[in-house]
Amino acid sequence: MAWRFLLAILLGGLCYLDRTAACQLMLHRPLVVATLMGAVFGNMAAGAQVGVVLELIYLARLPVGASIPPDDTGAAVFGGSAAAIASSSIGLDTGSFTALLLLSVVIAEAGKAADRFVRKVNVRIARLTAESVDRGDVQAVEHGLLAGLTLFAVTGMVLALVFSGAGVAVSKELLPRFGPASRGNFAILLPALPLLGAASVYSCSRTERTAVVFFLTMVFVFGGTVLFRWSA
Amino acid sequence: MTMQALAARSRRAVWRRQFLLQGCWNYEGMQNVGFAFAILPALRDFYANRPEEALKAVKRHLEFFNTQPAMGALILGASVRLEERVAAGETDPRAVGTFKVGLMGSLGAIGDSFFWGALRPMASVAGALLALLHPLLGIAALLLIYNGVHLTVRRRGFAAGMEGPEGAVGWLRRAALNVRTDDRKMLAAILAGAYAGVFAGRFLVQGGGALRALSSLLLAAAAVHLFVVLFRKAVSPSEILLFLLFVGVLILWL
Repeated sequence: MAWRFLLAILLGGLCYLDRTAACQLMLHRPLVVATLMGAVFGNMAAGAQVGVVLELIYLARLPVGASIPPDDTGAAVFGGSAAAIASSSIGLDTGSFTALLLLSVVIAEAGKAADRFVRKVNVRIARLTAESVDRGDVQAVEHGLLAGLTLFAVTGMVLALVFSGAGVAVSKELLPRFGPASRGNFAILLPALPLLGAASVYSCSRTERTAVVFFLTMVFVFGGTVLFRWSA
Repeated sequence: MTMQALAARSRRAVWRRQFLLQGCWNYEGMQNVGFAFAILPALRDFYANRPEEALKAVKRHLEFFNTQPAMGALILGASVRLEERVAAGETDPRAVGTFKVGLMGSLGAIGDSFFWGALRPMASVAGALLALLHPLLGIAALLLIYNGVHLTVRRRGFAAGMEGPEGAVGWLRRAALNVRTDDRKMLAAILAGAYAGVFAGRFLVQGGGALRALSSLLLAAAAVHLFVVLFRKAVSPSEILLFLLFVGVLILWL
């Protein structure tokens, strides 16, 4: 298990760097991160299952100006690792799947608080950089950026370790405490989650023309899906 | 005063460094350290034998700066060209700050709307739909759709900026990002509708006839509408999820 956590730390750190500090190539998106974590902890498909739903839920919160959206990367680290472990021991039933998706909101808020903390520490780094430049040290700009980058990377690695650990702990300790019947009851909330994701995308893309298009597409695809299921 | 040319090596260094624009993002200067870091190789070329002026130039770029990171490439390229003119004595140094301040807000708004409000949701929902077939297919779609456009905007924006502020403005007009934003929002809405349809069809209809299917569809559409109304009333997705978690815990207890 130790090497899995080591890999989770490295991959998680890389994804967290992509989130704010470097490149923004979307390697930090929940679909990517949860699938990676699923693969690291032994079940890529289970991780992806969580990632697909998490991918869209937080899209309505945009990283505009100084506002920080919830940490969906952390939610995916937690959800992906937990889903992989839960599916390998007790099978990823819909109740556990729903529980993991809902519990990930706590992780997303904790990650957001950590992100705020890093950016506050960066204020100090930026001030020190400016003071050094005032004293004539131009190279301080490079050192300052390296310090900020290191802080983002280290925080990302720590969060990846903590959140994947939480995922493993929840799957091994918390979920088995509830019997299949309880988990089955919990699963009635599941349909709300993908619909929340769809609403999140729709609210981002909402213009005068898109409302009709969204609901018409929904009706056609729903009809096609139901007909396909009935004929199968 | 003789003009110091920008070496190809320095231009490449500035291009690479723009990817770290947010490397030291902070609440005070926001992307200021990242911007100064990115433009530093060019400043070293322009003020090669003038350390005092180099220092002043670096300080100019440690002022507050914040824009959408991909759109930062355009401002960075144009700032390099402006600094070249300042170093040659053709332009007042204050023009650099005025140009950056004038452009960062409007480009930030255009970039936020295009990248965060249209392109990313479109790429995300396309990836999520294709991931239902195979996870790797979904990831490939997400990364290719987003980065195909993202890296092109960065590359072309930087090149246009390097032609000077006039080139930057001309490129912005030609790029017509507002029209492209609307197109991508439309595509995102279509894909999100398909996503909602697939999930409603899979999770809500567990048997029964056409009437049951129709009521499930109406229920799903009403739920989406309710969530959108809640978002409009500034209720965040996290708050909705916390409420659902609370309901879930009640279900487990009762």
